[in-house]
Amino acid sequence: MILLEAFSTPVNYFPILIQLVLAIGFVIVMMGATHLLGPKRKTTDKLENFECGIEQEGNARQPLAVKYFLVAILFVLFDVEVIFFYPYAINFRELGWNGFIAVVMFVAFFILGFTYIIKKGALNWED
Amino acid sequence: MNIYQITFWILSLFTLAFAIGVIMSRNPINSVLFLILTFFCISGHYVLMNAQFLAIVNIIVYAGAIMVLFLFVIMLMNLNSDTEPQKNFLVQFAGVVSGGALLLIMVAAIKSSLTGLEGKNIDLINSTDIGLIKNLGTVLFTTYVFPFEIASVLFLSAMVGAVVLGKKDSALKTAE
Amino acid sequence: MNAIVLSGIWGVVMMFAGLFLKSSKQIQWTALLGIIALLVVSILDYQAHSVQAQTYFGMMTIDVYTSWFSILITACCAMYLLIFHKDIAAVGKNEAEYFALIFFVMCGVYLLASYSNLLILFLGIEILSIPQYILAGSDKENIKSNEASLKYFLMGAFSTGLLLMGMTLIYGATGSFDITSEKFVGQFEQLSSMSSLSFVGILLLLISFGFKVSAAPLHLWTPDVYDGSPTAFTPFMATIVKVSVFVAFIRLFHFSFGNVSDAWQIAIASMIVLTLIIGNVTAVYQQSLKRMMAYSSIAQAGFMLFSIFAVNSTLAYKGILLYSVVYSLASIGVFAVIIKMKDYTYDGFNGLAKKQPVLAFTATVCLLSLVGIPLTGGFFAKYFVLSAVVEQGKYIWIVVFAVLMAAISAYYYFRVIRSMYFKTGEAAMHTEPTTWDKTLLILNAMIILLLGVLPSLVFG
Repeated sequence: MILLEAFSTPVNYFPILIQLVLAIGFVIVMMGATHLLGPKRKTTDKLENFECGIEQEGNARQPLAVKYFLVAILFVLFDVEVIFFYPYAINFRELGWNGFIAVVMFVAFFILGFTYIIKKGALNWED
Repeated sequence: MNIYQITFWILSLFTLAFAIGVIMSRNPINSVLFLILTFFCISGHYVLMNAQFLAIVNIIVYAGAIMVLFLFVIMLMNLNSDTEPQKNFLVQFAGVVSGGALLLIMVAAIKSSLTGLEGKNIDLINSTDIGLIKNLGTVLFTTYVFPFEIASVLFLSAMVGAVVLGKKDSALKTAE
Repeated sequence: MNAIVLSGIWGVVMMFAGLFLKSSKQIQWTALLGIIALLVVSILDYQAHSVQAQTYFGMMTIDVYTSWFSILITACCAMYLLIFHKDIAAVGKNEAEYFALIFFVMCGVYLLASYSNLLILFLGIEILSIPQYILAGSDKENIKSNEASLKYFLMGAFSTGLLLMGMTLIYGATGSFDITSEKFVGQFEQLSSMSSLSFVGILLLLISFGFKVSAAPLHLWTPDVYDGSPTAFTPFMATIVKVSVFVAFIRLFHFSFGNVSDAWQIAIASMIVLTLIIGNVTAVYQQSLKRMMAYSSIAQAGFMLFSIFAVNSTLAYKGILLYSVVYSLASIGVFAVIIKMKDYTYDGFNGLAKKQPVLAFTATVCLLSLVGIPLTGGFFAKYFVLSAVVEQGKYIWIVVFAVLMAAISAYYYFRVIRSMYFKTGEAAMHTEPTTWDKTLLILNAMIILLLGVLPSLVFG
């Protein structure tokens, strides 16, 4: 609790801002500096994309399989579900049984959905 | 000008610049990356408004998950050819006029709703604590518990939809 | 309230029915069982709420009016499922999921019928819309279905964004999401007390609403979506979903924004004029009956807009109830005939009366009701919404204009009847109607005719 209250105004985040600025600044400066200072010898072989030493073939911009998309969208749904646990965890004691029932109902729906997904074989990679 | 105001103006500048980048860049991947940066800036605004939980959620869900989804969608498309459709001049002109009219109305409405508030600065230092995770959780699980539960129906329908549209039909037969 | 819970749970039941039930017949029976249960529960809800209105969590206010509408819309949905259940299962391989999505939509419908909080309005609209995007694209092999789904999704998501923006501005002006709270009511007491943010908020809500009910000039998605979606789902989207959005926004615009009607009535009036012109005139030029019905649903939305336009008149409420039921049943009846045909053009219907007299007759009754011929329910539906405007006394000329447009609509509806009765042709069928189908269609037509004589049956 004390920790929470200590971080409850925007001014507490000022160090993070400074750190962010420093970190990004460092990266930009370093990358810019190496780019400017380093020697450059451009040959066609060097500019080619590196593919483990094998000569590159085909086009990298192939359309992706829909399977990835399905997994990603399911991930987003469960990600959003997990987000709701944070506010519950903080208020765990104060909310008591009512809060518990609310969360259990919410999770029950998700577990049903999850069972459905598994049973349906939506996460099976080989089909 | 205190440190809040300076941060606010810088953040706003960045947000707008990145948002313009989203719609101006030709390459869709660049658009998505600009959008991520925009989300980070908006998270900064949330922190300024003392809504830290929202700031983190914005980063985890939007900048993290949904942007990955956006990238996947873009990779589903064919990116080789420059297939951006060219709208004719009349459509563009109509778009500019109607968008400009909406902007004008919004600005005018916000400006006139601020009458009587001139000279009052929004107090950022002693801002409310309502955006803190503790208060948010209390409200979410007491006053707004019904919409919270109903949202699970929304998620379920999205889940069913993803499976219906995204799963190969032939695979379903073997799964049964 | 119980109907909301049951519809959500039955959606889950349908999801699992697809996993555990082997035959398509069993799945269809589960769905029919569900909608009957839903009908029973909503009737029980009505009895529980008929004495006094009840609030749930400060989010829903369920009174006689809303629970009565829930019964009517559930009955329409039951009729839809009874007629179309075989066609729904035939759309693709995920038959149980289609039914599940329909039950989720019903959950959204109940939310929209009785919300008293803008948050629930938003959730209701979303629960209503997302399953529809999927149903529109459920025929995955068909490129037109894909187009319909994508178009609907992109436009729908954009309009939901506008809805949220409108709510945000109204929240900014009032400081409350609860439309019954003092802050909210006080803001919309009179025009002079309204903040300028509320004006823009109402405008944005209006735009979003116009999109959802396909009122011109926000109707552009409708023909492609209704035409591209599988024929089994088009009647659902065009009737049950559309009328429940109407009821939702009547609630907001009459109860909350009723006192400040000067701010938005002119916008609705121009929407009505545009919708009636574009819907009716474009429908005349259509060759495909399915696409004609899409334009006709735009035109009918123009008439339903009158009930929003006539603020705080009991005639308007009666009108929208009657219009919802009659329009839904009539469209379902017409689509039930369309889906049986092989060729959706007018020529495809040539000679249907000789081949399938029952189908031709029920379609004729439904079409006459859509025109608004006396002795069908459509006449009283149009009569009530138009006389609500006359009673209000403003903009009488729109009523004259609407009657004129109804006359135009007679042209394209009668063209179907002419094809069926007065032209010769083979009228190739896609599927032969069973006796059960015919019985249902006759029942449907009978209800429409009955409402043409006794419209008070739907007023509860």
